[in-house]
Amino acid sequence: MDGNMLADFNFRIIMEYLPLFFKGLSVTFLISISSIFLALVMGIIACACRISPIKSLKYPAIAYIEVIRSTPLLVQIYFFYFGLPTLGVRIPEIQTGIVALMLNSGAYIAEIIRAGINSVDEGQIEAGISSGLNYIQRMRFIILPQALGVTIPPLLGQAIVLVKDSALLSLISVAELTRCGQTLTSERFMPTEAFFTVAFFYMCIYFVLKSLADWSQKKLIFREVY
Amino acid sequence: MENIIEFKNVNKWFGKLHVLNDINLEVPKGEVLVICGPSGSGKSTLIRCINRLEQIQKGEIIVNKTPVHDKSANLTRLREDIGFVFQQFHLYPHMTVLQNITLAPMHVKKINRAEAEKIAMVKLDQVGMTEKADAYPTQLSGGQQQRVAIARGLAMSPEIMLFDEPTSALDPEMIGEVLDVMVNLVSEGMTMCVVTHEMGFAKKVADRVLFMDDGQIVETGKPDDFFDNPKTDRAKSFISMILTH
Amino acid sequence: MMGFYFSRLVEIYPFFLKGLWMTTQIAFISLVSCTLIGFVLGILRAGENLILKRLIGVYVAFVRGTPFVVQVFIIFFILPEWGIQLEAFPAALLAMAIMGSAFICEIVAGGIASIAKGQWEAAESSGLTRIQQLRLVILPQAMKVILPPLVGQFVLLIKDTSVVSVIGVMDLTRVGWITVIRIPEGLMVFSLVGILYFVISYPLILLSNYLERKMAV
Repeated sequence: MDGNMLADFNFRIIMEYLPLFFKGLSVTFLISISSIFLALVMGIIACACRISPIKSLKYPAIAYIEVIRSTPLLVQIYFFYFGLPTLGVRIPEIQTGIVALMLNSGAYIAEIIRAGINSVDEGQIEAGISSGLNYIQRMRFIILPQALGVTIPPLLGQAIVLVKDSALLSLISVAELTRCGQTLTSERFMPTEAFFTVAFFYMCIYFVLKSLADWSQKKLIFREVY
Repeated sequence: MENIIEFKNVNKWFGKLHVLNDINLEVPKGEVLVICGPSGSGKSTLIRCINRLEQIQKGEIIVNKTPVHDKSANLTRLREDIGFVFQQFHLYPHMTVLQNITLAPMHVKKINRAEAEKIAMVKLDQVGMTEKADAYPTQLSGGQQQRVAIARGLAMSPEIMLFDEPTSALDPEMIGEVLDVMVNLVSEGMTMCVVTHEMGFAKKVADRVLFMDDGQIVETGKPDDFFDNPKTDRAKSFISMILTH
Repeated sequence: MMGFYFSRLVEIYPFFLKGLWMTTQIAFISLVSCTLIGFVLGILRAGENLILKRLIGVYVAFVRGTPFVVQVFIIFFILPEWGIQLEAFPAALLAMAIMGSAFICEIVAGGIASIAKGQWEAAESSGLTRIQQLRLVILPQAMKVILPPLVGQFVLLIKDTSVVSVIGVMDLTRVGWITVIRIPEGLMVFSLVGILYFVISYPLILLSNYLERKMAV
């Protein structure tokens, strides 16, 4: 195929493969949405353990977070993809992928939440202490509402990261968006059309999520004013 | 008049820094006590020990018959009786003025919302801020925020009000409105401990002035005596420094 | 059975070290190139030339909006279509350079933007040229803001090198992938891979934490 015919072949082939791309896109959505929710739950639990004074909760949480943060996601994906069968766990690749993404993002989300909680001004907490509120009351009325606003923008950022991370699942044969690009390339030898289309779809998702994140950054943050 | 606050041989260290050095203090009920001194003298630390925002390593602190230094002391009960006003106000930015004030009465004293709001409006009236009940702290000036903070402290109808440099973070033209509120509190018989440099306020309403330096109480006396005729050298140089402004 | 595989693993250890060495090379070259390019781009991005800023912005948006693996595929498969034949290793370096520079560019531009306008004005008032203002007044202050996220980005880049294994570069991840086909002990093989990545990235993670604490004061 020569590049001079770029404009010509480009769109016909893409049109032909559009159903496939949409299918891949829907799989990417499915993976991303389920992973993000599971990761959120995972992150909340891990964060609660992380800030807990109980050592048997705190240290495993720290270990989990540090292991995830210092190893590449691809290695974690391969770890589960190749490792789970040896334990007798035979699940579809897509589920393996979601597990890996959930555990990976869960650790980052735990740290995001923890940073949000720590960002609440110390003086606020002292004011709460001084009026006689106990730890749970301070968490509920003072810390968490303010932490929420600070946490949502980076959480949306993590959602963006997770959508991009889902592309790695193409390497364990999950039929998501990137894999469509690989399919088109191997079937028709048209990597340009294939991967630029794939890139285009990812950019669309990116712009939607980024606008959401930027908007939330402006609207949701409470600050003390002197 | 019985003592509502007592410090007996209180010592506190921050690491190697000896911030409270053998403090002995008795505050009778209803007294208005002003504490002043250079920065780092320990005056903020001292009043923060009264409601256990800071803990001491040695000595005893008894507030309203509660041994504050004791690990088993009922801090919630203690703090229901003490209102604390911070230099940086620390109003909750995500709540309205009214919500800021009703939070503790509703959740610590378990008063129902209607009752708590009634009390809150009374306190807001006391500080002159009733029209701002539904405003958010970010919409208020510094002086207004501090007055709301005082109302928040008063909401639990405490026996003691503690003020940690309440006007130091304010622009000069707003200091007066806050001091006026504090003067009115005095006339109601409230026990008050105020860390401040505002000599006018001290002379007007304080029963006693405490001068601290380097973690120790260096001199005490009636305001007129202290500010006009300080006895110790350290007090003399401190007063001359605040006078030159 | 585990014992049998374990001894095979010990045999294959040199293979792992080769992979580790490849990963280290890619990581090191990428960190250096991305930092250099990223700083230049970041300074331009924080500058006054609107066209340049827009162009760099488009480039950064593309890098941040698409998965790195897709970028790697684009470089490895599409460039030959336009006449540029690249082997796996150079392609990997190119992909890393393009990706990493974009992120570092944003960090640097953000750091420069965080310096108060008054600093520029004061420097300009004393007669310094724009380059002097940048070099003597702005950048030294911006470095405090830039350093912690920069080191954090280094850690991310080291981990991202694992993605280039998909085009056949014999890095640590690919070594694990090839090994696990012959020694089907997925848990053990990739635990070993993970540990080796941990070994090269943990010092930087500690440095990043240290810097974050120091700069927050």
